[in-house]
Amino acid sequence: MGTKNRFNHEELFTSFIRENKENFYRLAYSYVKNSEDALDIVQDSIHKAIVSIDSLQDLKTLKSWFYRIVVNTSLDFLRKHKRVSIVDAETMEFISSGSEDHYENIDLERAMDQLSPEYKSIIVLRFFEDLKIEEVADVLNENVNTIKTRLYKALKLLRIELNDEMIKGAN
Amino acid sequence: MDKKLEQLKKEYKNIEIPDELDFMVEKALLKGKKEKKNGYKWIAGTAAAAVIFIGGLNISPAMASTLAEMPVVGSIVKVLTFTEYKVDKEKYQADIKVPAVSELENEDLAQSLNDKYLKEGKQLYDEFMADMKELENNGGGHLGVDSGYEVKTDNDQILSIGRYVVNTVGSSSTIMKYDTIDKKNQVLLSLPMLFKDDSYVNTVSENIKKQMREQMNADENNIYWVSNAGLEDEELTELFETISKEQNFYINNEGKLVISFDKYEVAPGYMGVVEFVIPTEVISDILVSDEYIH
Repeated sequence: MGTKNRFNHEELFTSFIRENKENFYRLAYSYVKNSEDALDIVQDSIHKAIVSIDSLQDLKTLKSWFYRIVVNTSLDFLRKHKRVSIVDAETMEFISSGSEDHYENIDLERAMDQLSPEYKSIIVLRFFEDLKIEEVADVLNENVNTIKTRLYKALKLLRIELNDEMIKGAN
Repeated sequence: MDKKLEQLKKEYKNIEIPDELDFMVEKALLKGKKEKKNGYKWIAGTAAAAVIFIGGLNISPAMASTLAEMPVVGSIVKVLTFTEYKVDKEKYQADIKVPAVSELENEDLAQSLNDKYLKEGKQLYDEFMADMKELENNGGGHLGVDSGYEVKTDNDQILSIGRYVVNTVGSSSTIMKYDTIDKKNQVLLSLPMLFKDDSYVNTVSENIKKQMREQMNADENNIYWVSNAGLEDEELTELFETISKEQNFYINNEGKLVISFDKYEVAPGYMGVVEFVIPTEVISDILVSDEYIH
């Protein structure tokens, strides 16, 4: 039984990785901003996941489990390479104030890059990877309310207004 | 959805996917499975070679120390490049240097080392050519392998040759292997034969874990997969427990035992190949003699 179970896990894991590899790559890239490091992170993550797949209790959590590995591996990498720049709300305000003028997109992108990783992770996972708010909470190991609070804050920093439905992802 | 968010999402989705991703993911999946099944392939191979050799010569640590009193014969052992495999195409690069030891009095030893080096060099080349073909069939990409050797230690007593393989598929992985030869006695050293009994596995492992924790404390950029070191994602990784009996090692110029781990073996990829120098006082009680390690 045990072996069969594990076999199923591995088969499922393999096809899950194959189907979603581009998402994982983009996610890693959104942190490290270069191709070689992003590839390294994807490779590292797959390696970590295979080694510890037996610890995965429920296959339903495979998605958030693997996203969590990718996020943590990326953060580890940033910590090592100190490419994180954390910006306080005031600076943020200043950066995003340019959003009215001609350079809207560039400033917006920059504003996004200036978000601290904890805010950025939420925006990326919720809106770009289309995870539900509960899944985001699971990936980042926080409770849903904490994630919601941070999400509001992040959107405010980016000067984006959304209604409640959009926030939760009740689709 | 909000216009700005739409714009950001579009930019995110436009992140270009490199050609190598496919191939690299397949490699990672395959490599992970193999490792899980077989343990580390190369280490197993080295261990087997050492066992056969030692068996063939019928040598024991006791005998080695008797031999030590004989006149010095083999201090002029040389390591040179025997042959080189090269592929140099725009997207595919291979450079595999195969070392050979020469002027080793013990011809059987020289032969067995050189055979091993040649066989593994050839195998690496064959694998590269097969991978290249596969990649071509899947629409192409970049692929590189760089293999060579460095003489880690060369003194009157010890010759340590380290051989490396760096695979580049977008990102890279590195494997190191060592052979340490006692030049006076003309024998290939293995980790078990340096110690009185198996207790070294535990002693050395505990010391390495201690060093890992110290390094992580001293600099937050150092990360090893080790327990009690404040890793927040502990459940995600298999933590380092113990070295294998035939763990990669060499003896450095100061006569210290150095334990080496490949990329990914005990730490995240960015840490690369990691080495730990084991303080001699930690193991002096269980060493067979202080001849090699002091």
